Amino acid sequence: MFNGFLNQIVQGILHGGLYAMFAVGLSLSVGVMRLINIAHGDFIVLASFVLFTLCTALGISPFLAMLIILPPAFVFGYLMQHVLLQKIVGSSNILPMILVTFGLSIIIENGLLIGYGPNPRKLLAGDLQIASLQLGGGVTVGLFPLITFGAAVALIFLLDLFLYRSRIGAKIRAVSDDVDAADLIGLSSKRIYAIAMGIVAMTIAISACFMGIRTNFDPSSGPTQLLTAFEVVVMGGLGSLWGTLFGGIMIGVAQAVGAQIDLAWEVLAGHLLFLLVLVVRPQGLLPKE
Amino acid sequence: MTSIKGVGRRTVLKGMAAAGTVGAANWSGFAPAIAASKPVKIGLVAPKTGQLAIFYKEVPFVLEQIKKHTGGQAVIGGRKRTYEFVIKDSQSNPNRASQVAQDLIFNDQVDLMTTFATPETVNPVSDQCEANGMPCVATDCPLESYYNGRGAPKNGFEWTYCFFFSLHQQAPASIDEWDKVDTNKVVGALWPNDDDGHAYAGTYPKFLKDKGYKIVDPGRFDMPSNYNAQIAAFKAANVELISAVLPPPEFFTFWNAAAQQGFKPKVAWVGKATEFPPAVTPLGKRAENLSIEIWWTPASPYVSGLTGISSKDLAASYEKASGEQWSMTLGIRHALFEAAFETLKTTKDLSHAAVRDAIKTMQYKSIAGPIDFKKGGPFPNTAETPLAIGQWRKGTKYPLDLLVVDNTAAPDITIQSKPQPINWG
Repeated sequence: MFNGFLNQIVQGILHGGLYAMFAVGLSLSVGVMRLINIAHGDFIVLASFVLFTLCTALGISPFLAMLIILPPAFVFGYLMQHVLLQKIVGSSNILPMILVTFGLSIIIENGLLIGYGPNPRKLLAGDLQIASLQLGGGVTVGLFPLITFGAAVALIFLLDLFLYRSRIGAKIRAVSDDVDAADLIGLSSKRIYAIAMGIVAMTIAISACFMGIRTNFDPSSGPTQLLTAFEVVVMGGLGSLWGTLFGGIMIGVAQAVGAQIDLAWEVLAGHLLFLLVLVVRPQGLLPKE
Repeated sequence: MTSIKGVGRRTVLKGMAAAGTVGAANWSGFAPAIAASKPVKIGLVAPKTGQLAIFYKEVPFVLEQIKKHTGGQAVIGGRKRTYEFVIKDSQSNPNRASQVAQDLIFNDQVDLMTTFATPETVNPVSDQCEANGMPCVATDCPLESYYNGRGAPKNGFEWTYCFFFSLHQQAPASIDEWDKVDTNKVVGALWPNDDDGHAYAGTYPKFLKDKGYKIVDPGRFDMPSNYNAQIAAFKAANVELISAVLPPPEFFTFWNAAAQQGFKPKVAWVGKATEFPPAVTPLGKRAENLSIEIWWTPASPYVSGLTGISSKDLAASYEKASGEQWSMTLGIRHALFEAAFETLKTTKDLSHAAVRDAIKTMQYKSIAGPIDFKKGGPFPNTAETPLAIGQWRKGTKYPLDLLVVDNTAAPDITIQSKPQPINWG
């Protein structure tokens, strides 16, 4: 019994890593640009389709394909912010933001349907998908979930390093703290937002790779993970990267424990924990100071 | 004076126009001379976009195929008339399906409604038709979900009909397949908290117990799930067979997690997720010997009563035209449109009541097998079509082929292979 419980907690923690990976891009856009991106999930699916095309055309591993698309993803995110999203951020009215990103979500979904058709696709990673490790004590973990968790931690570590130790990171934080003051001292908030969005797009490409290997996707899969991702971001504290990781793990573990009590509690337990945190600590678990 | 006269004239004209419309509506059935000038309209509500879009794939091909054969003309009461399909997209959304059905009934004034693709499309469209006295024939929705999902009225429905398989037909047939594989008869249930999950949970346990199987049912769960708790329960109870009804991404999550955590069942029945080649192909070797029901296969002996095309030829011409492998939806789509043409052929006239009566008394041999609404199915307003049981095997022309391994519920269909346990090699 205890071993079973331990196993579930370990699985929950690993699963939380995946949630955190989905949420980290969202956390950045909400934290830095105050941008609520309804199309975040659809961008992940779009990137998965790009990876799928690359993998099939060149016969390469999804991880290599992901490395290849990182630079174009940055450019894509940069231009996206520059051309479109810049027009809707910074206003106190969030309605245009919701409408534009919701519109993007519909455009991406139906564009993919026209381009790729409705068939579900998958990124193939060979034996990695089913390899497992015996950790003793009745705990068996999948190698891939373990790698996913490691990648989520590494991604968050690197982003944190970038934001708090680099010059451009300092500029991003400055703009994020006070746009007007940043503009006043000669920082171009427009350019810095675009760079931040480029980085968000890179995290999207990375999540797309892990999502596409873990499960299959079709043009309409975008919104499925979005709700949990939003919960993770809010729970962790808006804009806090380590908070996002912590929030992801909390939800993963809550779901595992809920499922252990009764299966019907699995998804519910995550939502309940989220509501509890909202009541007790509305600013999130590790808010940005 | 003039103005009063003008108003008077307009009022009269309006009145005449209204009378004309009413007259036309009432008389269209009895006045072939007028009716012949406009085509018969068949409404179709289907998910062209959204998460059910995979169900729509073959529709353009099938309609084209039928048009080629009929020359764009339907026979109605012995007279040829042009026909027109008015197709509206449900966007895979039940509310939207209901809305466009209404639109077809009132604005397009269709003569007959058709619909398909899961209870999410079929039920709202059928409900709209029922409420507005529109004859409707549907398929691709298990009969339990169709009848129980729409309130299970004792006397049945007045206007709406559905042909497909029922779980009462599927459960014994699938268990018959499992009997042929050497297992410990412990079945793990993956029945989620949705219409299908509840339908499985309401049907299977009785049949399983009768046949001496033990069920490990961790309970209804919401999706997306990560399946860790289910797998732990299955491993603890030494489960060797899986009965699941899951959408493709959910099944992938489960199947990967099962392998990662060392859970290796001998039989896996996966409703929904493994019905179509595009859904199983990405699994590659790991899809081999997964079990699923078959509502139509090129291996079936059935021939279309409308165009005379055989099941084998239909699959071949689809594969040639599209470059994609056949899937079950191809034949059942063809059968739905056949049923629509059969209705028109046997109806006395185009009044809604006459069209409904034509569906009600239909005894027709379609490419998916006999459709017999006169005899009826396990519930009112339904008809069961033959259901075979299949397993995925390494393919010859395509990566995977779906072969018939059991035919207790469809003795006409030839068995192509023996049920085999999953090879975890």
